[in-house]
Amino acid sequence: MIDDEPLVTIRNLRFFRGDRVIFDGVDIDIPRGKVTAIMGPSGTGKTTLLKLIGGQLRPAAGTIQVDGERVDRLGTRDLYRLRMRMGMLFQSGALLTDIPVFENVAYPIREHTGLPESLIRKLVLLKLEAVGLRGARDLMPHELSGGMARRVALARAIALDPMMIMYDEPFTGQDPISMGVLVKLIRALNDASRLTSIVVSHDVREAAQIADYIYIISNGKVIEHGAPDAMMSSSSEWTAQFMNGLADGPVPFHFPAPGLEQDLMGES
Amino acid sequence: MLEQLARLGRIGIGSLEQLGRGHLLLLYMLAGISELFTRPRLLLNQLFSVGVLSVLIVAISGTFVGMVLGLQGYYILSQFGAEQTLGVMVAASLVRELGPVVTALLFAGRAGSALTAEIGLMKATEQLSGLEMMAVNPVKRILTPRFLAGFVAMPLLAAMFSALGVLGGYFVGVGLLGVDDGAFWSQMQTKIDLYDDVLNGVIKSLVFGFVCTWIALFQGYGSAPTSEGVSRATTRTVVHSSFAVLGLDFILTALMFGE
Ligand SMILES: Nc1ncnc2c1ncn2[C@@H]1O[C@H](COP(=O)(O)OP(=O)(O)O)[C@@H](O)[C@H]1O
Ligand SMILES: [Mg+2]
Repeated sequence: MIDDEPLVTIRNLRFFRGDRVIFDGVDIDIPRGKVTAIMGPSGTGKTTLLKLIGGQLRPAAGTIQVDGERVDRLGTRDLYRLRMRMGMLFQSGALLTDIPVFENVAYPIREHTGLPESLIRKLVLLKLEAVGLRGARDLMPHELSGGMARRVALARAIALDPMMIMYDEPFTGQDPISMGVLVKLIRALNDASRLTSIVVSHDVREAAQIADYIYIISNGKVIEHGAPDAMMSSSSEWTAQFMNGLADGPVPFHFPAPGLEQDLMGES
Repeated sequence: MLEQLARLGRIGIGSLEQLGRGHLLLLYMLAGISELFTRPRLLLNQLFSVGVLSVLIVAISGTFVGMVLGLQGYYILSQFGAEQTLGVMVAASLVRELGPVVTALLFAGRAGSALTAEIGLMKATEQLSGLEMMAVNPVKRILTPRFLAGFVAMPLLAAMFSALGVLGGYFVGVGLLGVDDGAFWSQMQTKIDLYDDVLNGVIKSLVFGFVCTWIALFQGYGSAPTSEGVSRATTRTVVHSSFAVLGLDFILTALMFGE
């Protein structure tokens, strides 16, 4: 495997939800060993993109390659084999709510390896230590705060030492402290184990701070991509509006609607 | 006119599609059964929450239904001087009809709705997606053990319902109304047939267990991933299961006791 070949290559991706176009010819390369941020306003299809990369959804057209394999074409068995090398951190954490933290992290290990119990215990404790929650091993998921749940989910995602982790909105709904913890953690995990990380987010500051490379998508297209510094000083009006969080600009504040006056007068 | 025709067509196609999805899900669930042999714990856990936790409601209902049968039966039979056959009447109605049917209705309300809500919530909170991304098949790991547990639990629950019902009828008939103790049991022994009555009852409850659990899991797995979606799916589980049980009971009865 050539090292500077991208881990994920997406070409001419098209995807629909009913009649709505979500992606209309998107090209993305995710470099190996780096943190790539994919940003865009809510509802543009960032979660959808991760599900497409993970093979949970299939594109209408275009190709998605992960580590040389065509995700959009793989059969169930091969797809599951590939997923063992991918971790995904869902927005909600997606922990199994009926088993404690320890068992949640142990779950993928028990499922996919025949390791003896003593070794599983060591592995799980190491993963929990990495996210700073070794002491929380006996808690049930409902006893965790949002930030803790996300870190447990992260420990679970790295349980099988994947080649890549996808983070779906890791920063939303976090207080400043756990936000800082997560930012550090994502970076540290990426650098320590030569992971490839994809961070999907609309929190510009955190994502820009953490990323080596940024893609901005909107309205089904890649608007711009580049290194964080270049994006911050982008000449594109759109990018400038998004990166600086301005309410007004090329992206309208209003969802398309008939004129207010007309609406209020009740002439439909 | 054309508009209405089109709508009717859409509803028809929609129902067919649902039916197709339901059968696909059934196939996938059945395909997962072999893997359960290597993980019997999964099945045991579900037998507990689907079966054991339904025991109380089934036991209490069975006893009361049997007691009512004892009262009503005695009232009618004694008008013909046939109160000695009370045991046969109570046992036959329980084993053939009330045991399987009422147990299935209770099961749909108690265990079926819980299954739907559980699966629906797991979907809404992305737990099922999470399993998929961990390369774990949620149908095999989550749905199949529940399906098998429902299928196994139903006949056992129905048997318990009938047994306690007979005891309830005995208590009222012999204990309170003075039917002869020996006649109650010996008439029952000679007139209730192992194949015609008991086995057919068991077949019925196996069918009901299969259908009720299938409906519950399908509704949960197909529910919209929102709180409203889950609540609707739960309601549908109870409604569809009840219709299915009553409809199937008629068909099965006609087939079994028809000629
Ligand atoms: N299961 C679904 N069925 C229909 N539409 C969906 C579904 N999931 C998402 N969508 C739609 O697809 C669009 C993209 O969703 P999503 O990928 O979740 O956006 P993001 O993560 O960028 O906020 C949204 O407008 C949403 O309404
Ligand atoms: Mg999202």
